[in-house]
Amino acid sequence: MKTLMKTMTLAAVLLSSTAAVAQDKPKIGAAVYGLNAEFMQLWAAALEDHPAVKDGLVDVTIFDGRYDALVQQEQFETMITQGYDAIIFVPIDIEAGAEAVQLAHDAGIPVFGSNTRVNSDLLNAYVGSDDVQSGYMEAKYVLDQIGCTGNVVVIEGPIGQSAQIQRLEGNEKALAECPDVEVVEQQTANWSRAEAQTLMENWLTAHPGDIAGVIGQNDEMALGAIEAIKAAGLSVNDFAIAGIDGVTDALLAVKADEMASILQDGAAQAQGALDLAIKAVNPDYEPMSKIWEQYPDMPWNGGSDKEYNVPWTPVTLENVDALLEMRQ
Amino acid sequence: MMAAEASQNRDFKVIAAEYGQKYGILMALVLICIILTFANEYFLTGRNIVNVLRQTSINGILAIGMTFVILTRGIDLSVGSVVALAGIVSASLATTSSTAAVLGAPYAAPIPLAVGIGVGLVAGWVNGVFVARYNVPAFVTTLGMLSAARGMALLYAGGKPVPALTDGYRFIGTGSILGIPMPIILFALVFLGAWFVLTSTRFGRQVYAVGGNPHAARVSGINVRRVRLLVYVISGGLAGIAGMILAARTGSALTQAGIAYELDAIAAVVIGGTSLSGGVGKVTGTLIGALLIAVVNNGLDLMGVESYYQQVIKGALIIAAVMLDRARHKAE
Repeated sequence: MKTLMKTMTLAAVLLSSTAAVAQDKPKIGAAVYGLNAEFMQLWAAALEDHPAVKDGLVDVTIFDGRYDALVQQEQFETMITQGYDAIIFVPIDIEAGAEAVQLAHDAGIPVFGSNTRVNSDLLNAYVGSDDVQSGYMEAKYVLDQIGCTGNVVVIEGPIGQSAQIQRLEGNEKALAECPDVEVVEQQTANWSRAEAQTLMENWLTAHPGDIAGVIGQNDEMALGAIEAIKAAGLSVNDFAIAGIDGVTDALLAVKADEMASILQDGAAQAQGALDLAIKAVNPDYEPMSKIWEQYPDMPWNGGSDKEYNVPWTPVTLENVDALLEMRQ
Repeated sequence: MMAAEASQNRDFKVIAAEYGQKYGILMALVLICIILTFANEYFLTGRNIVNVLRQTSINGILAIGMTFVILTRGIDLSVGSVVALAGIVSASLATTSSTAAVLGAPYAAPIPLAVGIGVGLVAGWVNGVFVARYNVPAFVTTLGMLSAARGMALLYAGGKPVPALTDGYRFIGTGSILGIPMPIILFALVFLGAWFVLTSTRFGRQVYAVGGNPHAARVSGINVRRVRLLVYVISGGLAGIAGMILAARTGSALTQAGIAYELDAIAAVVIGGTSLSGGVGKVTGTLIGALLIAVVNNGLDLMGVESYYQQVIKGALIIAAVMLDRARHKAE
């Protein structure tokens, strides 16, 4: 017990001393929905890698929301109590996140959305990518490959999540352009590779030789479909398969010419949101991230836009090696 | 005379209930298979049967380990997380750039596989020590391990998947011998081993004795602590094997692998007629329970029924199985 008390006192002293040192630097918190999957880790790594953080111009703290809207809200309360200057928010839930934004707004702290949307007009700005567009792009790829004729299957994300809804909208937009293509199966595999594998195994049995294309709403599920095809003793090259996100395994599969993937640039979403957050605290600030040069289609505009749309990058045999290099 | 008749009557009730329970599940499985055969032309094809067995294998292996634990009145909530931890640690030694791969084929699979089983055994041993030696309730111990093992998997891999596994390692998930996929072979071996241990060895009888009446077991000279420790070691080791089959099947080990797998394993055990109050149950029942879950999922997928129905039906099966269990207890 005594040791515990000592540790706690020590921790308190340490905490207050770091707070004192950091007082003149803008303190920015990033509340992300969860750090268990690769995508958000790349996002978080990019945030820590931002030139302003590396040069010590700002202090950034990342809070792991552990996939729970309530945890995220409590982290907002913590940040408000500790007097953070700005918050970057990647919500788990489009609706439940609104309350957290309201709390920060009431405390006069600007909030910037990144990656996933929140249903609130109190957000200062949002930096993300348009999921309808990626859904359209991946479906278009599959349909082009099969010559706009034949049967396809759609493997969906968890029904009701904003990415699933929007990517499906994009899928359907592309499918509408190919009236001869029939969607023979459409079901959720909850972003999971193992679930998609089981689903695809069963579909291959139910429609032998009848499936030409696989539209996976993320890479993991497209990869599961590839494993199912291999397990059934079929050739992956006989199928047109696409996924979204550009996770490392998908990049490797693109390199092996097994699927197509569309890279969602989480790093740009993170760094863009941080530039905006610093600008909100320090009006003289000029953006330091390279992303504004990298994406001429997404102009900085003095940091005054409400919405910044990070373009999607189709992963091709030409750029896949460079993208893999960046992951090392 | 009257007393004899009454006891005979009771015996009959017990036997009827026991048979109803044992063969009830088997009959349910057969019935569902018959319905699906008529409902879908592809259900009763060789390839689909292979699919069902392969889809049963991982949950089946976990459920067999769970059977040992539940027979001793315990529970192991940690198997899903141990699946992830064993998969990640063993796969990290089996990537195409790892030392094992560089050493060449003879090492590329055996070392990582041994390590993966080892990770599972250690996790199970830790569970067992807390349950058997320190008398911490199994629910609490394994709930702790559920969280800790997942955390360790995330820490070890830095949250990233471990991709690009060697062919030797992937063989246990994607390979086949005489046309039979490896996951099915491993599942069959685990089943036969467990069946032999539970029906024909002293340790098997001790498992039943400890679950049936721990006090009586102790009085009769059984080392109860040792038996309780070993069942968790068995469950952990089998979770390690399942984790590696999963990683080998999906092509890379994922930190999110195996989430909620413990629930499917418990469901298979309960549907298979093993009593949560210990001492009663058979590994053959668990096999049927695991098959039943897989057949229902497979059949509904074949017919294009939404996956949410699968969850509802699985729930109904679990409750029906427990009702049977209660009816049997009443009869006794």
